[in-house]
Amino acid sequence: MSAEHLTISKPTKTTHKETQKPWGWILFFIAPLMIYYLIFVIYPVFATFYYSLFNITPKGGQIITTFVGFDNYLALLEDDIFIKKAVRNTLLWAFVGPTIEMITATTLAFLVYFKIPLHRFYRTAWFLPMLVSGVIVGLVFRWIFNVDWGLLNVTLRAIGLDQFALNWLGRRDTPIWVVIFVHFWSTFGYSFVLLLAGLTAIPDELLDAARIDGCNVVQAAWRVMLPLLRPTFVTVLVLSFMGKMRAFNVVWVLTEGKPLHFSETVATYIQKRAFGWGTLDMGYPSAMAVSWFLVVIVGVTLINRWLKRPVD
Amino acid sequence: MSKKLYLFIFVTLALSMLLAACQPQTVIETVEVEKEKLVEVVTTVEVEVEKLVEVTAVPDQPKGDKTLIVWWSHWANEPAKRNFVEKVAADYEAANPDVDIVVTWWDKNPLRDAIRSTMTAGEGAPDITTFDTEMREWADAGWLMDLEDVLPWENFGPSFYNDGRYAGLDGVFKLNLSAAVDMVLVNPYIMEELGIELPESRQFTQAEFLDVVKQCNAAGYAGVANSIGNRPHTGRRVIEDIMVPYVGVDQFGRWLRGEESVDTPEFRKILEFNVELAEAGMYPDVYATMGIDEYHVYFHTQQKACFLFNPTWYTGRSFKPVEQGGQDPNFQFKFMLPPLIDGGVAPNNVRSGVESGYAILSSTKHPDVAKDILAFIGQPKYGALWTALTDSPSAILYDAATDWPSLEELEALGVESGKWDWYWEEFNYVYGELAELVVTSESVGCGNYGDAWVQALNEGIPQGLLTVDEAIELLDSNLCQ
Repeated sequence: MSAEHLTISKPTKTTHKETQKPWGWILFFIAPLMIYYLIFVIYPVFATFYYSLFNITPKGGQIITTFVGFDNYLALLEDDIFIKKAVRNTLLWAFVGPTIEMITATTLAFLVYFKIPLHRFYRTAWFLPMLVSGVIVGLVFRWIFNVDWGLLNVTLRAIGLDQFALNWLGRRDTPIWVVIFVHFWSTFGYSFVLLLAGLTAIPDELLDAARIDGCNVVQAAWRVMLPLLRPTFVTVLVLSFMGKMRAFNVVWVLTEGKPLHFSETVATYIQKRAFGWGTLDMGYPSAMAVSWFLVVIVGVTLINRWLKRPVD
Repeated sequence: MSKKLYLFIFVTLALSMLLAACQPQTVIETVEVEKEKLVEVVTTVEVEVEKLVEVTAVPDQPKGDKTLIVWWSHWANEPAKRNFVEKVAADYEAANPDVDIVVTWWDKNPLRDAIRSTMTAGEGAPDITTFDTEMREWADAGWLMDLEDVLPWENFGPSFYNDGRYAGLDGVFKLNLSAAVDMVLVNPYIMEELGIELPESRQFTQAEFLDVVKQCNAAGYAGVANSIGNRPHTGRRVIEDIMVPYVGVDQFGRWLRGEESVDTPEFRKILEFNVELAEAGMYPDVYATMGIDEYHVYFHTQQKACFLFNPTWYTGRSFKPVEQGGQDPNFQFKFMLPPLIDGGVAPNNVRSGVESGYAILSSTKHPDVAKDILAFIGQPKYGALWTALTDSPSAILYDAATDWPSLEELEALGVESGKWDWYWEEFNYVYGELAELVVTSESVGCGNYGDAWVQALNEGIPQGLLTVDEAIELLDSNLCQ
């Protein structure tokens, strides 16, 4: 073998220009969205933080802005409607809602994944409620739960269950559960679709291996698929939790927080304090919004820390 | 591509987006109107699908050489009042060819939100807007123009001059068109069916009224059609109307404004009576969800209630074609005075006051023209026109002999002469002869107290969700400082 054949050709040295990322084009494409995000999301968030430290009062033909520090936040602790109704209801919803939603969505995702009869129909049907505006959902269910002629009570009376034909939206105890149910109905399809996508992404080889090892369907689902689904599950749970913590349109149309604030949520109470309290003060509702923002951040962090573990 | 070119494209895009964001948007206001359209369908009255109201932004430039006045008004679903405002606008334009008036119709709550947003933003607000007395914060913020030297106050009753004034502020800020009277409507056909005769005084005693409500309920009717689906005042009106003849207008006013404790034997007696009424079936089952338009239909077309406590703006929602949710003209209800609790100090007192009116926003670019328009409305002939079109009393004084519109004018405006004469005969008899009208405010005191008043009297007591003690404690813990 000649020395020529042993010559190892040196790799061609790439130029700086060829490895450089095209930052110009990157900026070009993300700039519109970033500008929109800065103006309509980031700026309002900072503005809300800022306003929460002020008291804004009209007086003598002018709007007087007074720095009050954390007084608005301290006032929140003494606001019975905020603490005992709005926060309580929202936390209840944020716990119960995602629990029911995740159990239901996961179960339905597995059923469709394992191709039950009519699975293609169900895949579409269960997602359809997500496509309906929250306002329309609230309106329609307001009729369904009407005590006199609503579909639910009429059906209950027709089958002899008159004692269950309650005034669903006019009692102390039922309105918040109606809100939770209606919101669940309109949003579970989203969780279902995401979880189904997560299941579909699991490699078939792992399931084949489990089958070969003697696992039946339930064991494969519980011991193989669910652990692999965990990252998707946590993401969907976080989204569901955040959605409940800030849900507004369905509640507003369905009950407006009535009666007696028994179905009040933090979002609806902020709306009332900001726009319907006979005042132009945005400081106090801003403090409410900021404090709730922090609560949501803490909740999301806890969920992530608790549930996100590496998959073995 | 060079860095300079990237920078040029980036800056161009950013500027164009900013400019685009600053352009006025056309918004289709559908939520409130669509809700009412759907609600009317559900009550099984055949109603015409109401045209969706398109809200246009404030145009940037006047058309040609004309001065453009933008007027945002409540009463989107009250054709008689729309008729009035549009007639006034047309008359003004005819008298002032260099002025163009654009009227946009809203429902009340979205209108208030829009005014608040546009005035806070400093852009996009109209020249003239619907204004309600309880929106005092608008006056406090300097958003309203003073009308003291603008309107011909000699054409208005003194209470309408005072209505637009606020303690601590100089000026009068509101043009009132309507003189509202709190009425008690009674279905005479149900009364006849139940064998109940209306007293000559047209006022039941406490015991009599309770008995009538029980009889109504036993026959499958609600005592009243009032409900609170989309208003914070339509339920509490029943309790408030009963309050006034019992304790008098001054005491009622102090309670309403949250100036003193309500933990008194008199207030307690009022609430206890209303608890009795609620337990006797006074309020409809759908009290929590039935909206303001629905309960009118519940009373006049479905005829499911014996009484309705409603001010004179009843006609705006009811005296319109049946297919639009109005009542049959042959449904000739009667009027009564509110029931009198034993020991009442002012038996004949009936609440009167105002409803929505108009104000000029301080951001207007044409204050002189806007003021001239409101002064134009303050003529006696428009007081008469208001009553002729809307069948509700006018705040503007007029002489029926000389100011009443001609038959031709009324026909041109779609008014059928004589159609509602029975209503006026009944109204003039009960509220003109039998009653003593006393002016009261609709505005509850400060924010927290206002909410407590609504919770207690609009929601809690009528639905049995609060005891008398709980209601009193709720109110007393939120008195205005």
